[in-house]
Amino acid sequence: MAKKSSITPYLFLAPAMIVIAVFFLYPIVAVFYYSFTDYNIVTPPQWIGLKNYQVLMRDAIFWQALSHSLVYLLVTPVLIFLSTILAIVVNRRLPGINAFRALFFIPVISGSIAVGIAWRLMLDTNGIINGLLISLGVLAEPFQWLAEPALTLPIAMLLTIWLGVGYYMMIFLAGLQNISEELYDAALIDGCNGWQKHWHVSIPGLRPQITFVAVISSLAALQVFNEIFTLTGGLGGILNSGVTLVFYLWRQAFRLNHAGMASAIAVVLLVITLIFSITNIRFLERGTQAD
Amino acid sequence: MEIARAKPHTVVRGTRRLPRHFIENAFWYVVLSLVAVITVFPFIWVFFTSFKGLNDPIFSVPPQLIPRDPTLENYLRVWRLLPVGRFYLNSILVTFGVVILNTLFASLAAYPLAKMQFWGRDTIFYLLLATYIVPPVLTSIPSFILAVKVFHYYDRLQSVIFPYLAGVLSIFLMRQAFKGVPDDLLDAGRMDGASEFRIWWDIVLPVVRPSLATVAIITFVEQWNNFFWPSLMLHTRENMTLQVGLVALQGAFANDARGIAAGVVMTVIPIIIFFSALQQQFVRGLTGAVKG
Repeated sequence: MAKKSSITPYLFLAPAMIVIAVFFLYPIVAVFYYSFTDYNIVTPPQWIGLKNYQVLMRDAIFWQALSHSLVYLLVTPVLIFLSTILAIVVNRRLPGINAFRALFFIPVISGSIAVGIAWRLMLDTNGIINGLLISLGVLAEPFQWLAEPALTLPIAMLLTIWLGVGYYMMIFLAGLQNISEELYDAALIDGCNGWQKHWHVSIPGLRPQITFVAVISSLAALQVFNEIFTLTGGLGGILNSGVTLVFYLWRQAFRLNHAGMASAIAVVLLVITLIFSITNIRFLERGTQAD
Repeated sequence: MEIARAKPHTVVRGTRRLPRHFIENAFWYVVLSLVAVITVFPFIWVFFTSFKGLNDPIFSVPPQLIPRDPTLENYLRVWRLLPVGRFYLNSILVTFGVVILNTLFASLAAYPLAKMQFWGRDTIFYLLLATYIVPPVLTSIPSFILAVKVFHYYDRLQSVIFPYLAGVLSIFLMRQAFKGVPDDLLDAGRMDGASEFRIWWDIVLPVVRPSLATVAIITFVEQWNNFFWPSLMLHTRENMTLQVGLVALQGAFANDARGIAAGVVMTVIPIIIFFSALQQQFVRGLTGAVKG
């Protein structure tokens, strides 16, 4: 170990720490301050105490956005379910399985903006989805998928799931490959059939990955923006049907110039994120101990 | 002898085992292909649509996928109306600039955190850990104000490079990698009188090359697809990155599905080529973060 009084470690840390101080630490402190001000970015902020929060509490769109963000968390269990099953399937030793794994990974790297725009084209009234469904006899005439408020969130969630499954599948696959073969052999001897052995061996063996995926996918769900932005063309959907907390924050800050109000939304988002990550980890860790 | 031994073996396999395996495998290939269709279809559809001529309908019953009147006109139209070359150039500059500097800064910062004892080390580590949970959107409002009022780089490429020069995840991953390097290796260098910087550069970095690749790939995918912050900063078309430009294109080509499709293809193609060439590294890199 190096001498304790040396300046060397600080020199190593300096470049990264300067960037983090300016672009992470300062903004976190500043956003709390701005949340207590009336601020339109052009004129200096005016201290108004808790007024932004009081306005938010009576703001119907804020509550709508909050409930949408909480509903959006439903993508997490679906993602865990689908990607676990897919991981078990691609874990089979089949010729050409690597090609399938790679194909399933393509949405992960393609980026939500390009894919979201592609989805918007497909779901357009004149898009291929209507064409397919009419040919199959499911629909009689073109349906306006993106103009139906009840469908804005579900479609965005479907897009999030479609974008993420391949990534989480790879995480679970890595987990499966760490489970010892002997455990499966033991399960077979105990009389487990194919799917039972996965229930008794694979799922418990994947605990750490499930915890990890639950945490990161729900944090991502709370922060969803790109899917909503592309599918609703930056408008948030008819009757704000696609407005989530982050989308509302963006609109308040960068469309309406209400930086103070947007900062208050940011603080609410931070509090929810913290509560959520802590309970998530606690809850899932308790599950591990019970086993 | 050889033949005599091999023959009954194959016969047994052929009559008893192979058909069952064959049916089971066929079933799994059907399942896998169905999932593959769902994952790949939007790309295939966008790809073909981008080559459709005016006589090829976007909407028809039954739908027509492959253009009968293929043309490059959609690409040329996009290229004429928007500075696509600049979008590419800007995306490449930003992505590679960030990848190189972020990886460098992260491996610098992670080294003392993993291998040295100094005053404030744990404080710094926990501070980094705490910032990791904070949603990135939270910092966007003060960062926007900084960009406009302090750094004066609004609408310039620096604005989408500087904030990403250090990433907490990159630092964690490099710290984890450095921890795996045996102390003996470092002590040998110190014995020879090498400076800490020399030890870091000549001895430690070559050992952790796989982790450097992981950090570089995660940063690459993140930056190439980055949209939220660049969309706030870059307003002049000449200054836009591909993702921001694609959204501008979507606005400018509102009812032109063929043109928008061409834009989507142009945005997605480079990263898909990159991925195909470095598949294993991509998957290992992006999922490798889990263990870190």
